[in-house]
Amino acid sequence: MSARTAELGPSPHAGASVAPSSGRPGGRGYGRQARYYGFVAPALLLMLSVIVFPWLFTLWMSVQDWQIGQRHSFVGLANFAKILTDERFRDAVVHTVYFTVLAVALPVVFGTAAAVVFNEKFPLRGFLRGIFIMPMMATPVAVALVWTMMFHPQLGVLNYLLSLVGIPPQLWVYDQSTVIPSLVLVEVWHWTPLVMLIVLGGLAALPAEPYESARIDGASAWQMFRYITLPLVLPFIMVAVIIRTIDALKAFDTIFVITQGGPGTASETINLFLYQQAFSFFNIGYASAVVVVFFAIIVALSLVLLVVWQKTRWT
Amino acid sequence: MTHSVKGAALPRRTVLKQALAGAGLASAAGLGWWQPAEAAGSFDWKKYQGTSIEVSLTKNTRGDLLQKYQKEFEELTGIKVGAEQVPEQQHRQKVAIEFTSGAPSFDVVTASWHVQKRLYGKGKWFEDLRPFLADATLTAPDYDFADFAKGAVDYATQPDGRMDTLPLNLDYWIIYWNKELFQAKGLAFPKNFDELISAAQTLNDPKKGISGWVSRGMKNANVPVWTSFLLGHGVDPIDAAGKLQTDTPEAIAAAEIYKRLNREFAPPGVVGFNWNECQTSFVQGKAAMWLDGIGFALPLEDPTRSRIVGKVGYGVMPAGPKAQHSALFGDGIGIAATSKNKQAAWLYCQWATSKVMQSRNLLGGYGSPGRQSAFTTALTSPDLKAPKEWVEAMSGSIKIARPGLPEIFAVTEFRDTFGVALTNLIGGADPATELKKATEAFKPVLEKTEKA
Amino acid sequence: MDVMAVPTPRTTQRRRPAPAVPGVGHRLRRLAGKLGFAASVVVIVSPAILVLLWMVSLSLKTEIDNIAYPPVFIPNPPTLANFTEVFRNSPLPHFAINSLIVSGSATLIALLVGVPAGYGIAKAKASKLSVLVLIARITPGLSYLIPLFTLFQFFHMTGTLLPLVITHLVITVPVVTWIMIGFFETMSPELEEAALIDGCTLWQAFYYVAVPLARPGIVVGFILAFIFSWNDFIFGAVLSGRETRTLPVAIYNVLTFEQVAWGPLAAAALLVTLPVLVLTVFIQREIVTGLAAGGVKGG
Repeated sequence: MSARTAELGPSPHAGASVAPSSGRPGGRGYGRQARYYGFVAPALLLMLSVIVFPWLFTLWMSVQDWQIGQRHSFVGLANFAKILTDERFRDAVVHTVYFTVLAVALPVVFGTAAAVVFNEKFPLRGFLRGIFIMPMMATPVAVALVWTMMFHPQLGVLNYLLSLVGIPPQLWVYDQSTVIPSLVLVEVWHWTPLVMLIVLGGLAALPAEPYESARIDGASAWQMFRYITLPLVLPFIMVAVIIRTIDALKAFDTIFVITQGGPGTASETINLFLYQQAFSFFNIGYASAVVVVFFAIIVALSLVLLVVWQKTRWT
Repeated sequence: MTHSVKGAALPRRTVLKQALAGAGLASAAGLGWWQPAEAAGSFDWKKYQGTSIEVSLTKNTRGDLLQKYQKEFEELTGIKVGAEQVPEQQHRQKVAIEFTSGAPSFDVVTASWHVQKRLYGKGKWFEDLRPFLADATLTAPDYDFADFAKGAVDYATQPDGRMDTLPLNLDYWIIYWNKELFQAKGLAFPKNFDELISAAQTLNDPKKGISGWVSRGMKNANVPVWTSFLLGHGVDPIDAAGKLQTDTPEAIAAAEIYKRLNREFAPPGVVGFNWNECQTSFVQGKAAMWLDGIGFALPLEDPTRSRIVGKVGYGVMPAGPKAQHSALFGDGIGIAATSKNKQAAWLYCQWATSKVMQSRNLLGGYGSPGRQSAFTTALTSPDLKAPKEWVEAMSGSIKIARPGLPEIFAVTEFRDTFGVALTNLIGGADPATELKKATEAFKPVLEKTEKA
Repeated sequence: MDVMAVPTPRTTQRRRPAPAVPGVGHRLRRLAGKLGFAASVVVIVSPAILVLLWMVSLSLKTEIDNIAYPPVFIPNPPTLANFTEVFRNSPLPHFAINSLIVSGSATLIALLVGVPAGYGIAKAKASKLSVLVLIARITPGLSYLIPLFTLFQFFHMTGTLLPLVITHLVITVPVVTWIMIGFFETMSPELEEAALIDGCTLWQAFYYVAVPLARPGIVVGFILAFIFSWNDFIFGAVLSGRETRTLPVAIYNVLTFEQVAWGPLAAAALLVTLPVLVLTVFIQREIVTGLAAGGVKGG
């Protein structure tokens, strides 16, 4: 997940700087760039050889009626038609959207705030920053198991902490209405550091001049943040949004370990639904059709976000 | 007698033999079970010496037991065993995927009858064990297959007559009850469903953090709770003709009980509880009754885990309006049809389900064996780790056991669909409506998977 | 939102060469600002610390204390029983070696192909190509499992670590490639171009000039790719066997049926995450500067 960080990370400012370099010796536009394709070939071939077969296999399975242990038969697009009328799938889409919106927005807000703090110099900064980014490196399965214990409605430490400040016990992941926000809490804990790192990269690159002149004009700290910092790091924040969106859509480990999509189906996202169909019901054909649709959704959404990102980058 | 037993295994075995002897089984049980070949005719444990087999077990106390004594098997046969335990859910998936791929990595594998029986039966994934049983050169003369309870053997047998697994463990659903809480209210263990409900009501004391009842609310896991009450109404989830009985008046009545107990008398958050959350509430003394499988005696009586050691009652499922049944589930052990070491694998299966191992299963409180002799042994054995009352609840349940899940192909979807309905009940939904909806949703799945 | 008030100290600090003799009021305000800032740092860092401390606490307590309410925070007396139990029940060192081999090989291969790929894409400004690599990341992980399992079975590769290494490439190659694109995009091209004029081939220029300059990026790419591979659960859960389990799968397997075991679970969880966490604290500077480096130059 997270690692497209740097990738998209540094590039926001790079757009302008690379353009002029094409007048150098030996180079004539397209041909000069094309000779670098050889560098890309090994990675590309390797990736394709790993993913092309699964893709083709998935496409083939998606037009089969196939349950493990039974014979499979060609059914055309019937699986896709079934998706359209499947209430469980529709619910899963709703849960996914709900989860994704929260699991993108909150880490982005908190991560940006944390980046602003860590951009300052203060004692023990490095150490504390190291502590802060630990959650992102922690093994999701292991951490999810610990969160499960913390969420326990009767014996969990979270309810105890709430009781200390006079808040009545919550049911957390043990109730349909609070399960998704509770899972988002884990997600926020896990991935806010990633957003922080990306935005921190942006803050480090900020020019000093606008601040100097703003200060001379008597701007407040908030005004400087709002009118100088925010617009300048916006491309970085958008990168974080894109990465978080893809990751939140695909979130699996945490939900699987903590709720398995429950209570009932209240936290069954598309990915969990997919897992259920493929590995619990063994409806391989149908599950493959869901994969195809799910993949299309992620690609479409990523493209939209990429376009938005391009816009923030060039204005 | 002991010449085939080596090293550290000796004292334990001696004790066990004394236990068997004490039960008056010395002659019948055949203590020469591990006798060398010449005494047992053409059968020889060492015949496949040097072979290696892979064993894939479900992670539970029975898996622990088999791994704990694995060395004995290896010394007895000279066969090398590579065994692993995988958590139940993962194990089922892994087994299905590996069999489907056509080249499973294991020779011996355990399977849950109540979930996978039809799946592996249909795919003929397991070897039919009847020819092995009939072969005197492969089966120890004192294996005594007749010792297995008929119910267990029936459960292990496929509809077409193939017996592709041996009974490893049976799981009866019982009610664990907190004697201290019952005494405080002057209550006795309930004899029928009505008494059960009123007891739960009396015992329920949310102000003190005590719930009158706890049982699984989590989708899928919760279905056996409901079918336990359904069986008491004299109805199976699917009748002999293969018709769904899940929206009948009996099913609705059972669902009403499920709803009432879990909605009114269970701890907050029960809708997300699986067995482990239930157990946690119960060992904390925070729940007065808990309906679940029989395999939980060990943690309940373990002072390092439980606050209610010595206060736990083990009760047989009370009678319903029409019948008294304990919901039954079971695990078998079998040989992958693709295995290249079938004979060695068969020796392992035989050993795993032998009298000695099955007695150990019960004596150690690990679970409930399919062999009748194990019970006779256990009740008089000084080695019995679990409380006597637990063994009694078990033998009481055996007499009234009835499969708790339908034997169909799509068991998991059945559990999922009705599990969601039950979850909704805890949220306050109407049983008749929910069951009707679930039944309608499941009907096409059933028709499709059963006709294929 | 009070979060936004945080930048205040920045101005305070930038104004450091300020009045030589500040008034008492000014000092107080500065102190208040500092305290507020310290408070916000505490708030930001505490969730990470608290969860980890709770994990440590769970792993050092007896089961009965772990399910006590109100919760017991400080293990008294602390016990290592949970750790011994974990080690008794599963050969964790063996699985740790598996994890090391799988994540190590997958990450090394990723560096081998990913660093040149990042270079090529950055130089050719072929952002479309980068999308191709990205797609491996976008594809839902679950969709690889059944096809790949079947494939590996067909080639008799199951039971070895090879299938895991191969599938983990899906995690590591995009990570490395993307980080390297960012690095090379913002690196000044002059040195390499000088090398080219001096008669170096493209690959020589890459190897002798670009790669040494990009070392910080390579370090970050290596670390992140390694960690994300190390943490993977789902590939390991399906593709690994008895001997080839990776650590996260082994941890999940500590979950037993019939016995609640929070202590051993927490102990196992701690054993998997601890190396990574300690590493993180030590190399946080490299991570931060590595990620930011490209941006600084580009700005």
